[in-house]
Amino acid sequence: MQDIRLRIGTAILLCLSAFISIPGAIAVFLWWLAFSGHVFQVIRMRIIMPVAVMLAFFSAVLALSGGDGISYFIRMMVIVLIGFWVYAEQKSGEFLRFGVWLLGERWGFELGMLADMGLQTMHLLIRDFDQIRLAESLKGFRPGWKTIVPGGVVLVSGALMRAEHTAELLAARGYRNGGSLSPVFITPAKDILLSLTALCVLIIALISVSEFFILYG
Amino acid sequence: MRVVLNDLILYREHWSLSARGSFTDGIHLISGDTGSGKTTLALLIAGLMQPSQGSAEREQVESLMVSFQFPEYHVTGATVREECSSWGGDPLTILMAVNLAGKEDLSPLRLSRGELKRLHLACLLANDYDLLILDEPFSSLDCLEKERICGEISSRQKGITIIFTHEQELFPRVDYIWEIERGSLCCRGPLPGALMVWDHAPVSVKKLVAQGKIPDNITPKDLLEVACRT
Repeated sequence: MQDIRLRIGTAILLCLSAFISIPGAIAVFLWWLAFSGHVFQVIRMRIIMPVAVMLAFFSAVLALSGGDGISYFIRMMVIVLIGFWVYAEQKSGEFLRFGVWLLGERWGFELGMLADMGLQTMHLLIRDFDQIRLAESLKGFRPGWKTIVPGGVVLVSGALMRAEHTAELLAARGYRNGGSLSPVFITPAKDILLSLTALCVLIIALISVSEFFILYG
Repeated sequence: MRVVLNDLILYREHWSLSARGSFTDGIHLISGDTGSGKTTLALLIAGLMQPSQGSAEREQVESLMVSFQFPEYHVTGATVREECSSWGGDPLTILMAVNLAGKEDLSPLRLSRGELKRLHLACLLANDYDLLILDEPFSSLDCLEKERICGEISSRQKGITIIFTHEQELFPRVDYIWEIERGSLCCRGPLPGALMVWDHAPVSVKKLVAQGKIPDNITPKDLLEVACRT
């Protein structure tokens, strides 16, 4: 999806649908398989497994304390997949345009810029993490608890240093708050169609399956 | 000992990199513009990245090391002393050599980028590797330090050393010159013949070649000697 406004709106609809009910979550999963276009890319993302393990842990705790852990796991996992889809589609500068369109040139600009910076930092952290892992393996260190602390220290100190440099750069350029921007969006018909399908998914989630297919005994 | 690149190709969305040839014992200099794919090729040669096609074979290479451009990535010690030890070196000897004595108990990340690069290269060059790949080894270093590192690299007696750089001032003694041009690795051959066809040659080398003064090598000493030749 090229239009970030429709993409974010679609993601909100899909997340709501997945959260409401299991049929909704299944419908969202099918939507993700059919329309996201990033299925293989998401499967290859190394972070998907740790996230699934973390969710499985919380689901198990919920199940042991009397809740519906399996339902929670399925619904949250589908929401995570939608999150990965939004992340995979994201392009640099989109949050800034979206922020200005939504909230104007003061708060919208600031929040959009912060979101874009956050995303950029995430990309850099992933790159740093890969390089650190390679450097550690070259030194003969195997991934494990021993390498987590030094690797983490390098990651955090690098991120803090970059944040400081960015702040200094903004201050040096006289930035105080807000900024002017005329956001331009491209909205292909496909984007509108996909958003409408997401709306249908929400309807499926809101109406029970038996009512939807008029399955009365 | 040999590293052979068998029609290696890496495809990316709007970019590709291809390489073929073999690296034998000696010092190989690979130059190329920023963004030409030097770091990517370094990872491919080291086997740390898989190509889309072809292969990189490292024959009889038993020990391998890659020095990344940013020395922070290599840090595993909580202190400078621990960092030296993590490379198997003697902290005192290494720190004396790079003028960092007295900073043993500091965190390596508290050193300046230049100091950390010095420390990293000193630790690295204290070891003998069959294949040593240096990605931009001269970045963050001042002229004096570059000269010292060039001397250290030049004195490597055995093994394959591959230097990726866009350095334009100071070089170690080099045996072969390679270039990355339009996404492809090209071998310019051994020195001094390679100097005649080296597109990324520093201005000083190009001027000398244009005057018909061909240096034996590209170390500062060689360039000075040929420049003074009448």
